[in-house]
Amino acid sequence: MNRRQVLLAGGATVTTALLAACSGTGGTSTDSAGADAKPRKGGTLRVGALGRAGAITRDPHGTQANESDYLVISLVHDTLTAPGAKDNTAPRLATGWKASDDLKTWRFTLAEGATFHDGTPVTAEDVVWSLRRLRATPSGPSRLPGIKAAGIKAEGDRTVVLVSDYANAELPLLLRLTTFVLPKGTKDKDIAKAPGTGPFKLDWFRSGNARLVRNGDWHGGEVLLDAVEVKIFESPQAMSNALLAGQIDVASNVGAVAARTAEKREDIQIVRRPDDMAMPIVMRTESGPFADPKVREALKLAVDREAMVEQVLSGYGKVGNDILGTGDPAYAKDIPQRERDLARARKLLKEAGFDTSTTYKLLTTEDISGLAESATLFATQVREAGVRIEVVKQESATFWDKTWLKGDLYTTYWGTNDSVVFLASKTMVSDSAQNEAAWDNAEFDAAYRKVTATKDAAARAEALGDLQRIEHDASGYLLWGVADGIDLAAAPVRGLPTLPGYGRVQLERAWLAR
Amino acid sequence: MAGPLSGTATRRPAAGPEAKPPRPARAVPAGARRLGGLLALLARRALLLAVLLAAVFAAVELLPGDAANATSERGESAADLARRRELLGLDRPVAGRFADWMTGLPSGDLGTSARGESVADLLSRPFPNTLLLGGLALLVTLAVSVALGCWAALKPGGGVDRAVSATATGVLALPEFVVAVALVLVFALWTGWLPAVTLTDADGSPASWQMLVLPVLALAIPQIGWNTRIVRAALADEAKAPHVETAVIDGLPRHRVFTHHLLPGALPTIAAGIATSTGMLLGGAVVVETIFNYPGIGSVLAGAVTDRDSPVIAGVVAVTGAVITGVLLLADLVRARASGGRT
Repeated sequence: MNRRQVLLAGGATVTTALLAACSGTGGTSTDSAGADAKPRKGGTLRVGALGRAGAITRDPHGTQANESDYLVISLVHDTLTAPGAKDNTAPRLATGWKASDDLKTWRFTLAEGATFHDGTPVTAEDVVWSLRRLRATPSGPSRLPGIKAAGIKAEGDRTVVLVSDYANAELPLLLRLTTFVLPKGTKDKDIAKAPGTGPFKLDWFRSGNARLVRNGDWHGGEVLLDAVEVKIFESPQAMSNALLAGQIDVASNVGAVAARTAEKREDIQIVRRPDDMAMPIVMRTESGPFADPKVREALKLAVDREAMVEQVLSGYGKVGNDILGTGDPAYAKDIPQRERDLARARKLLKEAGFDTSTTYKLLTTEDISGLAESATLFATQVREAGVRIEVVKQESATFWDKTWLKGDLYTTYWGTNDSVVFLASKTMVSDSAQNEAAWDNAEFDAAYRKVTATKDAAARAEALGDLQRIEHDASGYLLWGVADGIDLAAAPVRGLPTLPGYGRVQLERAWLAR
Repeated sequence: MAGPLSGTATRRPAAGPEAKPPRPARAVPAGARRLGGLLALLARRALLLAVLLAAVFAAVELLPGDAANATSERGESAADLARRRELLGLDRPVAGRFADWMTGLPSGDLGTSARGESVADLLSRPFPNTLLLGGLALLVTLAVSVALGCWAALKPGGGVDRAVSATATGVLALPEFVVAVALVLVFALWTGWLPAVTLTDADGSPASWQMLVLPVLALAIPQIGWNTRIVRAALADEAKAPHVETAVIDGLPRHRVFTHHLLPGALPTIAAGIATSTGMLLGGAVVVETIFNYPGIGSVLAGAVTDRDSPVIAGVVAVTGAVITGVLLLADLVRARASGGRT
């Protein structure tokens, strides 16, 4: 019921959606029964995806609140880079990239022989035009951070040059989700019909539903399915019913509740995509009752992480260690897991002179499944350390308007969990636009700058380790766990993506064993 | 989310005053007079709709957040938000936006959604689908409730009467979503006889007729409960009317009394009952469409409220309001004719 709201959740949430990630190669499911089978060509895959008819967007450079719209767009059009499994940035329309020594100028090489669905070759000019168009949208500055329209240039037919205002080692990562490429000069009214370069061609699109057919000439390799039919679903419940009744083959991002129902069905596969959704509790660091680092540490010690994952996520997830970006290949697994320690929590609260006679408000929404439940369970748990918390549920738009970025204690959620640096840049660097906990830590800022400006891999990895240690020790985030993304699939479906967030749309390797 | 729709449904009582049996008007040219009355009635209804639409714009304005905020991405700067606000015209006062939107209305221009899609396009497929669903549910409601009501009224106080009345009351109390969930469970998931959800084909309408069965039943069942009771009560009242008693004493055959004296007399009440069901059916459609993933305006409306998308919400209210107004008008005409013809 609430899961769908992730799409539209007020102020913003699209990002959640918009910023999640991971990839094709190696990131696919293997059903035990068919693991050894040779991929078979043919067949139509019917995929259910969440979305609302009132929020339909066709523009690849628009704000897609509907997972269904994003699915269609990303199968028809290619982005320059894509989420990946081993490395979180995988090639897509750009097959390679190289930075200048100062990490400000980046050269992307386009896939050889890549063509639009109408047969015309993709040129650097098309890419430049598309990126500039993206840059000119209201969301452009946040989608291409640090890059001005003038900094997007073509160099010959197959090289695109991007010039950043500052050193940015993470630039290829930032191009993964919305850099869809269309033919140069496509008029706004023709955008919905514009040919893409992706693995599937658009057959028809109507009221959020679409049929896509195989692009036999895809530059990325052989596509096995004849067609993909995308069905829009307003509620995960209806989508789950459709799958159980055999009306669709895949229920994309349907959630833990549906998975519990499907556990009893042997003919249904439950595809878990780890590190999909982080639901941290935000404690304001700048002012208010949680400004003292000792108080924040006490709360981090008071939460029972295993119980949260078990009860809030029905076990479909894993424990967090107060560092965002758990799916990052560079995630610091060597930092000791913070465990529950009520005695120490009480001691810290006492040292900080924390007022335990007051009841504090924890603000939350029902934007995504489990969010409000996490707040309630958290309140019960910290009570054992002597902290009284009252959970207040707000309507989504109210929350994003009044509480987000402003409150002392609230829940938030992030769907892009495969990059530590990305989340640091978005939410923890002192001047970031979405500094949810109003954190200002000079040491952390320095570590972040070092990470983004260091070209040498070893030195960069070390700086990334420092960054995560500081985050773990002092930030305003209490990350108790990360939810799996969950898809349900009928028995014959193979090769489904297992990457979190936006990786769920990578259906180009899927096939049907029937 | 059902706000605007239930809002229209609550206009039901308004049908009362002008639906009073008209006084016999034999001396004047009845045709002209009736036409004038009809036009006045239409004008009143149109005015009411305009007021309702103004209320929609005002209500969205009162909600926290706005469309610019709701359709932005996390992390857009204040300047980007301001730009988006300007693009959507949200920097202008609500009265001006409402006036602009209203000027387009007569020509069928319902404005542009916060995501840049034409509202008329957004509604062009879903609205006929909702009309189909609501229309079928209305027909089923009419047929079943009249049949059951008559059956029950044949022998007042008899076994059939008591069974029908009790069931009707029970069903009337069931919310649509309970009925819908139960129907899915039994007819789709357990037995597999009917599809669980509605999928659409390339032209945007339901892919097969079987997909309509469960949603129509889910909508109709609670309304059947309500209308069966009305039919039954109307027939009981009518049975006490002197002309019916006279007919019985005159020894007319029972079926003739029923079809020529009892039913025509009860018709105005039955028509009014069915007409009021229209509003409730359209309100219930929002819930039922979600459960069955039916491609109607319910989903459009729900998304639009979350998006604070006034043009879309107003567009939905305008088209549903027009339909409800039309049905109420029709019911009034039926009543006028039925009661007028009896003088």
